[in-house]
Amino acid sequence: MLRYLLKKILGWLLMIIVATNLTYFLANLFLDPRANYLELRPPRTAEEIDRSLAQYNLSPATPLLDRWWHWITGIVLHGNWGYSPVGDSVNTQIAFRIGVSAQLVLLSMILSTVIGIALGVYTASRQYRFADRFHQALSIITINVPTAVAALVVVLLAILLNQSLGTTLLFVAGAQSPTVTGFWPLVVDRIQHLVLPTISLTVISYAGYHLLQRSLLLDNINSDYVRTARAKGLTRHEAIRQHGLRTSLIPVATSVAFAVPALFTGAVITETIFGWQGMGQYFTSTISKNDVNGVVAVAAFGALMTAIGAILADIAVVVLDPRVRVTGS
Amino acid sequence: MTTDLPGLGPTVDLDAEPSMPEKRPLRGGTRLSRHRLYLRRFLRSKGAVAGLVILGLLVLFALLGGLFTPYSYSDVDFASLGAPPSPEHVFGTNNAGNDTFAQAVHGLQRSLIIAVSVSLLTTIISAFVGAVAAYFGGTTERAVLRIVHFLMVVPSFLILALISQKAGGDWRVLIVVLTVFGWMYNARVVWALATSLREREYVMAARFMGVGPVRIVLRHLIPNIGSLLVVTFTIGVVATVQGETALSFIGFGVQPPDVSLGTMLSDGAQTVSSAPWLFYVPAVLVTLLTVSMALIGDGLRDALDPTSRAGGGA
Repeated sequence: MLRYLLKKILGWLLMIIVATNLTYFLANLFLDPRANYLELRPPRTAEEIDRSLAQYNLSPATPLLDRWWHWITGIVLHGNWGYSPVGDSVNTQIAFRIGVSAQLVLLSMILSTVIGIALGVYTASRQYRFADRFHQALSIITINVPTAVAALVVVLLAILLNQSLGTTLLFVAGAQSPTVTGFWPLVVDRIQHLVLPTISLTVISYAGYHLLQRSLLLDNINSDYVRTARAKGLTRHEAIRQHGLRTSLIPVATSVAFAVPALFTGAVITETIFGWQGMGQYFTSTISKNDVNGVVAVAAFGALMTAIGAILADIAVVVLDPRVRVTGS
Repeated sequence: MTTDLPGLGPTVDLDAEPSMPEKRPLRGGTRLSRHRLYLRRFLRSKGAVAGLVILGLLVLFALLGGLFTPYSYSDVDFASLGAPPSPEHVFGTNNAGNDTFAQAVHGLQRSLIIAVSVSLLTTIISAFVGAVAAYFGGTTERAVLRIVHFLMVVPSFLILALISQKAGGDWRVLIVVLTVFGWMYNARVVWALATSLREREYVMAARFMGVGPVRIVLRHLIPNIGSLLVVTFTIGVVATVQGETALSFIGFGVQPPDVSLGTMLSDGAQTVSSAPWLFYVPAVLVTLLTVSMALIGDGLRDALDPTSRAGGGA
């Protein structure tokens, strides 16, 4: 198991490295850090701008490969992801943002998978009844609604809820209130802020698992081995849960890995709407500020999230699928 | 999108298939042509018909909506800034004084043009690339698959944003960029289907008759995955609308003064509690557009897939 996992992790690490380096070159191609200095008064000459940028390893006057070498050795040797065009360290930005985004993305990844699979099982065993048709219609809508619309509807509903309660139960902006102190109040406050963005992200992503799980389970419910299990004396629900579900879970688990990039894109939108200072919001601000090194750090984070999702999916498949044997050599 | 796609060989000649359970007597009666059959099966699904009706209304609105308002999307009415819906401005105005109705018409047009052209282009590219990879096999196949897999892992949304913000919001550039990063997944699906087609007798026959590889791909492989491509196209429209909305929403897609549903949503997001009509109008339009397209896609999949049970008796 450990060996198999190590191999997988190594493969993903390679993917992350390639994707990050590719983004570095693309970002250098499409972003021009000099733009940040052009509007300064008094106006700077081209040489002055290049000199300022050179201290952050961003000067277009330096050959790209030299800059790349400087950048990559900085990361490998010192764990330093570079500086923005105005000299802010990318590391300090990432340090507090990464936790904010990771909890949002990973939490909704787990929630949407669990909810989606549970709904899939529930509706598949009630095919064509009201509950099935209702959830099917709901899922078709939520899977197709753009993230921004879903998040804003959640905001509107939360405002309604807060107004009808007369107090602010769920916060629609920010990751935490600046005035709260103490451990437990802080935890409660964080949760109050976390609920809405997590709901928005979960709403747009659970439906994929629901529809997939439903159709896979329906294919399996009528198969021979489920009928055999029934013949052995298991109840219908036991037979579905113990025999039908297990096989149909495998493709769902593998699809989790490919859903993570979409979730990260969703996080960009939800963080913008809910005013979170996370990686998603960093994504928009770095691109509009021509912050090459920041953009690359965001890409690395996105790739890392994808890798985590994929590895979790691999573990799930190993646990679920008796045909996959990974007992060492 | 991980939904199931129609199986192989959907376009076997249905006319010549007497084994299909037919309610009507075949001999003597008029034979059902293939397209009539597809149409009948499509119309049987209520959701698909509803989707088609909604889409039709949306297209009509985008094309003819401009006739019902004296304003253009860029006109500014200084007398009413951020005004709620009134007889003068049916959907109200935004804070700059633009008529929301006129903006909605233009935004829907823009989003539709982008979505349809991107989806058309990605479908064509993925069909060609997938089929070529499958037909040639060997090194070509491995190289194409490697590129496809790599592009699926690359943070494409970020690269999209990088390139399109550089272009300054030109919708034509947006079409190119969305196309470049949108064909990989479909190409993989096409490849998977086409690999089993390449061993078929008619492909062999064509090859031994000396038909060139490009011609075989175009005349024998691609037409036989046509039904898959039709479904891919509708799903592609949904995906593109979502992508365009997301990009425009964070300011890297269509940019002012041009208007798309995404930029309207971004305007509406800022005033969601003070001027909610600015959010409702684009939100309803974009939701109707994506949901109707998805329903049509589902209906088409069932209609074109001969193994589908939704097809019923004919």
